[in-house]
Amino acid sequence: MVLDTVMYGDEKQNRRKARIRFSLVLTMLILFGIFVVIPFYWMILTAFKTEAQVLTSPPILWLNPVNWQFSNFATAMDTAPFLRYMANTVLVSSISTVGTVITTVFAAFAFARLNFNGRDFLFMILISTMMIPGEIFVITNFLTVVELGWIQNQTYMNAILAMTLPFMTSIFYIFFLRQSFRQIPDELYYAAKVDGTTDLKYLFKIMVPIALPTIITITILNAMGTWNAYIWPRLVTQQQEFRLVSNGLRDAFSNIAGRILYNEQMAAALLVTFPLLVVFLLLKKYIIRGVSRSGIKG
Amino acid sequence: MLEDKSNVKAWFYLAPALFLLTIFIFYPIFNALFLVFLRDYNYLQGTWEGFTLFENFLYVFRNQNFTQALTNTMIITFVSVPISVIIALLISVWLNSVLKLRGFFQTIFFLPYVTNAIAIGMAFAFLFNQNYGLINTMLGWVGLNPVNWVGLGATWGNAMFSLLVYVVWASLAFKIMVFLSGLQNIDKQYYDAARVDSTKRYRIFRRITIPLLSPMIFYITITSFIGAFKAYTQVIGMFGVRLGPPGNDKSLITIVALVYDALDRSGVPGALSEAAATAIVLFLITLVFTLINMQVSKNRVHYSGGGK
Amino acid sequence: MEIRLENLTKVFTNKKTTNTLAVDQLDVTIPSGKLIGLLGPSGCGKSTTLYMISGLLKPTEGSIYFGDDDVTTVPPEERGIGLVFQNYALYPHMTVLQNIMFPLENLKVPKEEAMERAQKIADLVGIGELMSRKPAQLSGGQQQRVAIARALVKEPRVLLLDEPLSNLDARLRLQTREEIRRIQRETGITTIFVTHDQEEAMSISDEIILMDFGVKQQMGAPQNVYDEPANLFAAKFLGTPPINLFDGKISAKKIKLGQSVLGETKESPKDIVIGIRPEGFIVQKEGPIQADVEFVETIGRDTTLIMIDPTDETKRFRAIVDSDHKIEAGQSIALNIKPHKMYIFNQQTGERL
Ligand SMILES: Nc1ncnc2c1ncn2[C@@H]1O[C@H](COP(=O)(O)OP(=O)(O)O)[C@@H](O)[C@H]1O
Ligand SMILES: [Mg+2]
Repeated sequence: MVLDTVMYGDEKQNRRKARIRFSLVLTMLILFGIFVVIPFYWMILTAFKTEAQVLTSPPILWLNPVNWQFSNFATAMDTAPFLRYMANTVLVSSISTVGTVITTVFAAFAFARLNFNGRDFLFMILISTMMIPGEIFVITNFLTVVELGWIQNQTYMNAILAMTLPFMTSIFYIFFLRQSFRQIPDELYYAAKVDGTTDLKYLFKIMVPIALPTIITITILNAMGTWNAYIWPRLVTQQQEFRLVSNGLRDAFSNIAGRILYNEQMAAALLVTFPLLVVFLLLKKYIIRGVSRSGIKG
Repeated sequence: MLEDKSNVKAWFYLAPALFLLTIFIFYPIFNALFLVFLRDYNYLQGTWEGFTLFENFLYVFRNQNFTQALTNTMIITFVSVPISVIIALLISVWLNSVLKLRGFFQTIFFLPYVTNAIAIGMAFAFLFNQNYGLINTMLGWVGLNPVNWVGLGATWGNAMFSLLVYVVWASLAFKIMVFLSGLQNIDKQYYDAARVDSTKRYRIFRRITIPLLSPMIFYITITSFIGAFKAYTQVIGMFGVRLGPPGNDKSLITIVALVYDALDRSGVPGALSEAAATAIVLFLITLVFTLINMQVSKNRVHYSGGGK
Repeated sequence: MEIRLENLTKVFTNKKTTNTLAVDQLDVTIPSGKLIGLLGPSGCGKSTTLYMISGLLKPTEGSIYFGDDDVTTVPPEERGIGLVFQNYALYPHMTVLQNIMFPLENLKVPKEEAMERAQKIADLVGIGELMSRKPAQLSGGQQQRVAIARALVKEPRVLLLDEPLSNLDARLRLQTREEIRRIQRETGITTIFVTHDQEEAMSISDEIILMDFGVKQQMGAPQNVYDEPANLFAAKFLGTPPINLFDGKISAKKIKLGQSVLGETKESPKDIVIGIRPEGFIVQKEGPIQADVEFVETIGRDTTLIMIDPTDETKRFRAIVDSDHKIEAGQSIALNIKPHKMYIFNQQTGERL
């Protein structure tokens, strides 16, 4: 319950002050905590309501678990093939993540460890493109996948290629991993060279294990990015069943004419959100550490 | 570093990344710069009617939605970024000062980061529902009348307010985590030293915590501005492709939305050039504000010599 | 101002109920206006003691008096102390001047006066020219002085220094410790200087407090502690090169090393540890210790002999003798002992006998 590692004189007055301060801080944290949690609560609550309960005003704020209507999930899945969307998303996410990690590890190694003509110049060019909004690339990339014939008479294979290939590398991750690689002391490299270790072996036996936390971070961030992807998949998929969760979710519940069945909509939203939350709670430690570090420019 | 240059080997390691970057980043940059100067480019036939310097930019500015998009983008950026930075800063300082429940609260505050923008956008839309939403219920508790936030015919102001709440909510998590880890990296001895020197709490915060955290605050502010200028998915999440409450379509359109609007018309001659011009306008706006930001912060940000 | 610690105890309680007894019932009186060296190996509780005196840590038990005031529960900001941290803890975003003025701003000293005082103290510690620099632009020694200036500027009743020289290189360390000595003399502030370096403590302090495992081992003027160690730890910890130790015995009121008799005692028969300082040996034909010389090194007036312990061939001891004696490796020689350089300790308790 202590506010700092530093102790206070334990006169009553000081203690009381500290306790008041703690209570205030706690109150604020709880208030903002509620603000953060409410949308989740609302989503879950609504997902289990019957239509009549949804259309009650003022709304019902607490639902006894025995009254939960699980059939909303089944109905939601009838509305659109959400399991198919999830499968697509997992597939796209895995392919692009594996691709990203591989290309990133190699490129970061070259920038961090190898000495070649134009290295710093090239790196500077890469860094300076990070400021450019992605929309500038999207225009041409769309034309490119059209040219590659991945849009017309699209096969599943084409759709997967179109959704993954442009995202199989990332300048930010190269930059991020290079920072980690550079913190590995030169001496390790020299020692390995003296022992006759090849660069490739050094990379995979020494650097990758040491920088593993960063690589895990990249994996997580990239996978989560795909789960959130909306714009690009919408542009390049021609058939409903090739789409990813975000598109499926948006399209399934955007019928402008009919009235929206909120309980089914929220059931679908929960279906899409739930896997992410589970992954988060399982990998909490890595995600929090990784995300915090990705925000600290090295 | 190493003395001998290993050119061939280095390019071999770089090849996969460079190959992809060339196709999907470098070439598109040049192509956008090319497209933007073509008159009536028809990509289906690969033809255009000569070159033009400004015409495509004029299309952008003459677009009936441009003013609305620019206004919305600016409001989203200049309201949500300062508010979320300040709230995140406060929360992270509070979080840093409690020991016992820190892990629990950290998890809570991080939740918004790991959600799907569309799914949560929909949840927000329903939260703001006029008859069945929680927000109006809560307003009722304090004796206020229900407001039509996002329903049929909702005003631009109400819809924008709802959107801003969502945008701030969604952008807190990342900032809190980064600030919190920044705070935890500050050497405890500075606080001990300040205490021995009879420094008041508020002064410690203002004279020590904030300056030591300033590089991070600055970095987060800049990246948040850049991110906020690109607002779009949040609007989609809450309002769908209609980009506004029913009956008030496109009232929450943003600049990025204009790019995709143009892209959706890609078959029409000139549409791609207009998309490119819009994206370039967005880039220039971002660039200008980033430069202003850097100039303003120049003297207020402390960079330690070595750096952590 | 005199500082009195009574029964001062600190137990760190960990989450997993592992308790660390960092300081154990410390009773010390620190005389006013003196420079006291708080000496002991790493982890013996020196910093903990210092932080309790500063108020940053709360004692588990016991009291702290500044003069007649019981300050045990007074928060650090009201104790009027100056504290210099091991890493200096200079605020990296402030200039030297701002760093030094910071404590005065907190005390609401008018700006003019604060500037004046900051300049005066900066001149005293010899950094008057560096006022507009940032800490990162200073050398270690300069940062050290800024830290001292910041601690001194508010004219504290007590100055506390936690291993202030440990981040400096050897030459600078020597120079800076003289400097600290001088500043302390000039200001006359009661000063506690924490260090794990016995030579540093011996050279700078009016008195030293020797600690081990949170327990006070001995307190006194450096030379006294060296000459009259209270126990085996004190004997071992002070002196370079360190004291030689032998397993010996007392039988029939005689101190015996193997068969040799080194002296007389009134103690009852028991196993003992005999400590002999390297400079406590004399080369003498009829000396009681006969041993083989393994290695000889002569520097100036002194000759250092590495000798094989006659009671245990695997052990070596060191004797520093006059270089007039021509001694070569491989020789066997007889050594006598200066009685005041030899101490005997209870083998079980380590207590001096
Ligand atoms: N905050 C703390 N929590 C738990 N144990 C501590 C803490 N600070 C110090 N200790 C322990 O107390 C003992 C004394 O530490 P310290 O006073 O720092 O030693 P010294 O300064 O003499 O090297 C050590 O065993 C150390 O591990
Ligand atoms: Mg210490």
